[in-house]
Amino acid sequence: MTETEISLLRRIAAKDRKAFEALYHRYDRRLFAFILKLTRRADLVEEILNDVLLAIWKGAGGYDARSRPSTWIFGIAYHKALKAVARREPEPTGELESEPVERDEPESLLARRELATVLGRALRTLSHEQRAVVEMSYYYGLTYQEIAEIMGCPVNTVKTRMFHARRRLREILPGMGISGGAGKESR
Amino acid sequence: MTNGNRWERLHKRVWDLLPWYVNGTLIDGERRTVESHLAECPRCREEMVACQRLGEAIRQTEEIAPTAHPARLARLMERIDDEERDHGRGWLRALLAPWHGLASSVRATPPLARGALVAQLLLLAALGSLLLRGPQQTAAPAPAPAPEYQTLSQSDPAPAVPPAAARLRLVFAEGTTEKEARDLLLGIRGQIVAGPSALGVYTVEVPADPDPLEKVLSHLRAQPRVSLAEPAVGP
Repeated sequence: MTETEISLLRRIAAKDRKAFEALYHRYDRRLFAFILKLTRRADLVEEILNDVLLAIWKGAGGYDARSRPSTWIFGIAYHKALKAVARREPEPTGELESEPVERDEPESLLARRELATVLGRALRTLSHEQRAVVEMSYYYGLTYQEIAEIMGCPVNTVKTRMFHARRRLREILPGMGISGGAGKESR
Repeated sequence: MTNGNRWERLHKRVWDLLPWYVNGTLIDGERRTVESHLAECPRCREEMVACQRLGEAIRQTEEIAPTAHPARLARLMERIDDEERDHGRGWLRALLAPWHGLASSVRATPPLARGALVAQLLLLAALGSLLLRGPQQTAAPAPAPAPEYQTLSQSDPAPAVPPAAARLRLVFAEGTTEKEARDLLLGIRGQIVAGPSALGVYTVEVPADPDPLEKVLSHLRAQPRVSLAEPAVGP
């Protein structure tokens, strides 16, 4: 799979649209979710996503295969997302969960949205960097080395961001059983 | 260094690694270190459970992420075309947008051969001049061949101006490919103007002429690749 993605990126560097479409289908949903999770800004996601995909189309020649293609791609998404958010802050509505809910939404989906709302509210109290580490670790299952590469920072910074994120989430989400007993840990 | 200090340092190190122990990405040596410390540290065991719960909660929100939307690719390709057109090479494609397959073959042709192909296609440029009446016309790709082409956003008050465009909400069925979505849109001369929303709803603009919106909607609803087609009420 990784091998194929490397060759896809090479073909994209040669302006092969079919390869770009294939890569798009592999990454579109993941990147959409990643950017949304990172920014909590539904109003910005598509614009950022398009910028990321365009950057891949234009910059695939710069991919040197030293990291996994996904790491390279998520690195672009991370930096584009942070830049876009920095340009736009503060949020116009402030509430991600103010998104309109479709009337005929099934109950199971509503329950998930509710969980997502609570969790989203807690995650929004984190800095973008802390949130990014949490999402990349738990949602995307990345190694801390990969996260460091994506964020362009030392691995210890990743661990420190995660440390503070965990402590903050423990304070906010005791009801979710994420309280642990070890809020005493300090750094 | 005392044993207590050494233990404290190990404890801190393991504490920091727990999220990646839980997500299963630690290398063997680190994993073994974590496991042997967990066996003797109740605080870390408790924290590990907390990390697991957080991970589960975060992964459960996966379903609210929108499903893949092939139509976004269509729009993205348009943007790439626009950018390349801005670089002075892609302008011909704008004229050829109605013949999408043909335009694709231009793209797929090596640059030298492309020159020859483009020369032949220049014969079509006379038609293209119809499309180049103003900046708005060139910006909007023509969705289908139309002998008497009018853009949707035309503000010219001439009598030939078609009725205002109509908007509808469209949701593609799961698994719809980019080509299927594009064909569907071409079939109704529709253009995505907004979306997808978090729930995957696109807002599509269609010319109100010649078909009334109701006809377009019933056509769409009959398509297996459309799971929802409704007139747009709001903006």
